[in-house]
Amino acid sequence: MAFLSPLFLLGALAAAIPLVLHLLRREPDTTVRFAAVDMLQHAPVEHAEKRRLRELMLLALRVAALALLAVAFARPFLSSSLAGAATGATVIALDTSYSLSAPGRFARAQQLARDAIAAAPRGHVVGVVTFADGATVVQAPSSDRALAASAVDAAGVGYGTTRYRAALTTAADAIGGGEGRIIVVTDLQASGWDTGDLVGLPARAQVEVVDVGVPPPNLALTGVRVSGDRLIATVRNVGPTARDVRLRLTVDGKPAGEAVGRVDADDSTDVPLPAAKGTSASIAVDDPEGIQADDARYFVFGESARPLVLVVTNAGDLNRDAFYTQQALLAAGADGAAFDVAGASGAKLSGWDSVTLGRHAAVIVQSTRGLDQRGRELVAEYVRRGGGVLVTSGLDVDAQVAAGAVGAAVESTALPPVTAAEARELAPADVRHPVFRTFASNVATLGLVKFRRIAVARGSSCHALARFSSGEAALLECTAGEGRVLVWASDLEGRENDFPVHATFVPFIHEVVTFLVGTRGRGRDLLVGSLPAGLPAEPGLRTLPGDARVVAVNVDTRESDGARLTSEQFAASIAPRQPAPDEAGSPADPREREARQQEARQGLWRYAILLMMAALAVESVIAARTT
Amino acid sequence: MAAGGPTGERRFLDPGVLARLGTLELKARTIVEGFLTGLHRSPFKGFSVEFAEYRQYMPGDDLTTIDWKVYARSDRHYVKKYEEETNLGCHIMLDVSASMGYGSPGMTKLEYGSCLAASLAYLMNRQRDAVGLAAFDDRIVTMLPASARPGHLRGVLVTLERLRLGRQTDVSKPLHQLAESLSKRGMVVLISDLLDEPERVIRGLKHFQFRGTDVIVFQVLHIDELQFPFERATRFEDLETARHVTAVPVVVRDHYLRRMSELVDRYRRELGAVGIDYHLLDTSQPLELALLAYLSTRSRDY
Repeated sequence: MAFLSPLFLLGALAAAIPLVLHLLRREPDTTVRFAAVDMLQHAPVEHAEKRRLRELMLLALRVAALALLAVAFARPFLSSSLAGAATGATVIALDTSYSLSAPGRFARAQQLARDAIAAAPRGHVVGVVTFADGATVVQAPSSDRALAASAVDAAGVGYGTTRYRAALTTAADAIGGGEGRIIVVTDLQASGWDTGDLVGLPARAQVEVVDVGVPPPNLALTGVRVSGDRLIATVRNVGPTARDVRLRLTVDGKPAGEAVGRVDADDSTDVPLPAAKGTSASIAVDDPEGIQADDARYFVFGESARPLVLVVTNAGDLNRDAFYTQQALLAAGADGAAFDVAGASGAKLSGWDSVTLGRHAAVIVQSTRGLDQRGRELVAEYVRRGGGVLVTSGLDVDAQVAAGAVGAAVESTALPPVTAAEARELAPADVRHPVFRTFASNVATLGLVKFRRIAVARGSSCHALARFSSGEAALLECTAGEGRVLVWASDLEGRENDFPVHATFVPFIHEVVTFLVGTRGRGRDLLVGSLPAGLPAEPGLRTLPGDARVVAVNVDTRESDGARLTSEQFAASIAPRQPAPDEAGSPADPREREARQQEARQGLWRYAILLMMAALAVESVIAARTT
Repeated sequence: MAAGGPTGERRFLDPGVLARLGTLELKARTIVEGFLTGLHRSPFKGFSVEFAEYRQYMPGDDLTTIDWKVYARSDRHYVKKYEEETNLGCHIMLDVSASMGYGSPGMTKLEYGSCLAASLAYLMNRQRDAVGLAAFDDRIVTMLPASARPGHLRGVLVTLERLRLGRQTDVSKPLHQLAESLSKRGMVVLISDLLDEPERVIRGLKHFQFRGTDVIVFQVLHIDELQFPFERATRFEDLETARHVTAVPVVVRDHYLRRMSELVDRYRRELGAVGIDYHLLDTSQPLELALLAYLSTRSRDY
């Protein structure tokens, strides 16, 4: 028996209180020398011995109740010998990206993971993390290695792409503050690291890589596009020899023809498909020996995939009023996505109807001039129905008008400008938010932006996603109906800051607008790793929840790239980091964590509380009979 | 009657006040003189009937004392005046068993009983009745034969003063013992808590009845014994035996009071049925009430 919080056992000293009271307040039985004792014969009298026994029972029950309360607070658990001897943690990070979907590959990965579990140092607790686009702790470190093996057995390969960063940080978190090893069981896809990735891990977390091996030759469908009345499929051959390919086209669920081609070794080629008309199509390539997940591609015929973003300015002339914002939106992003941009003045917007405004995937308000009551109500309705609005805090934005437009309780007060030397900097407060997720490895670059003039923005339903170095909120996310509202406490045109001349500006604008757009104006080609909630993480033709539009969900073709890392290259992206002073000896120590897990599993404190309540109930009954 | 006036009760001495008086003689004199002073306005006139003289009727005199024969002869109203004399032999039997030791300090049942005995003795002696004393527990421990001599009262009072608590109660045995020793009719006053087997007590008292002796019984109990006012769990130890009972009073009170009521009712019922005066006294009651009861019986029978 061990205790998670043994100091609470000191509370058991309180059990002495009834004892002390019993001893201090114990009064000898009142004795009366009486003449008519005969009259008491055969009365329902209480014999002294019985009464004394009852008092002792009461005393014992009271002491037991207090002691049980102390024990419950001390969180007892039955410790196993392994947990008691835990000296560290081994976390198996098992790659479940689709690059392991080739026949036999994931089974080998699982076997290697089981081997790693079996080979974990004696005294280590063992946990399992699976990873692809994200990472999940499927088995927290535990002394029970069978649990870890079961977790490995239960894991399955998915359709995600490899992301080592997520795997390593999650595994390091699972290890906690103690010594540990992270065993990464992966096929060492080079695409698993983003360019310039550098993951800081605690120095006490030792990373080892278990290579699943070179992937088999693979054919991957990496793209489909429309050319005239035909579809063109792009096929990549990741293999040492040229291969003939056979493609099968299905339109609206019906076979629509086949096409053949030949792809050189480690090369790609376009294969024209038969002419077809319909709503959606899927193309499949025969590759029984290679990766399975990239053998199919889905496509939706129809509209442009470029969401339309409305920028509200003084005159609606984006070249003059919102040049930087316009150019940032028109620039191609990292994944090829871009936006169409439209400009409008506040007065013009006020003359629109909800249908016209509803064609826009997001709205950026850089001016409220001319935005009358009708315009404000129009924008507020747009937000309530799920639209996304970014409100800036430039000189042309009236805070009250903007608040009325977005329908959120937002206040904004402009602060006087400061000199360049006093300029504030930007620091994300929530790097996990979609807006800043892209900057996770380069978050410091946002700090290079200098803000000469800002506004103090606040709202009861808002929380800060980023702050200035002086503490004021820089970017607020507010709740308003079903829509998304962001408030930027400066401007986006370089009048009050030098943001537009920084390399982070374009990705920032893209991420902000992508967040505002959500699924509303998104194109019809989505990736498995960036699906809105409610859709399964599988490729296919799906209907967006709440939108009724059919979209094509495909795997990220970067995972089909056969480029591999060496163990040294893998390790080069890992930077040992010294633990923060408050991290050492933290509750994440494996021994303590194991103890916590055991305590949580057993939940003995509940039984202690139940026993205490039972003791008090019995005590009440006996006490009632005594008095 | 003493208690009949509107302020009658207040004329009686509270036993608590009585307890602070000095000797038993002083107590007895205080009680009796005060009591007799009260009797001036009562129908009790004394018992000795030796004629002394005639006196002319004065307004306020009792009409029953008018000698109508003299009136017929002289056409004047004369009332008879009598000189007291005794023709009664009275024995006071005082229970001194250990159970009589119960009570509050200064006024135990024994002290109350002694005071009552002394008062009765004083009253009897003042009326020229012969008074004797028998103190008993399970036997007669002290015996003073009945006498009307002036100095005898002092002997009785001194004896009462010197009485100490005795042993276990056995009322019937001394009763039979005294009944056998009495040679002529008279009166016996029994002062006891009667916490004994009622059947045996009543049989002993009937023994006096059989021998033509009138009996007055004063059962003296403490208020605690009548009301059982205890609250906390208590160990009750018998004053006469080693027996003890630990009881929670609230639990046993009803049972106790029922049994005590049954005992008192039985004495009252069975003694009344054979013509024995029975009076229940608790130690908080004024002693004059007991004297009144005695005088009532005395005037009825003699």
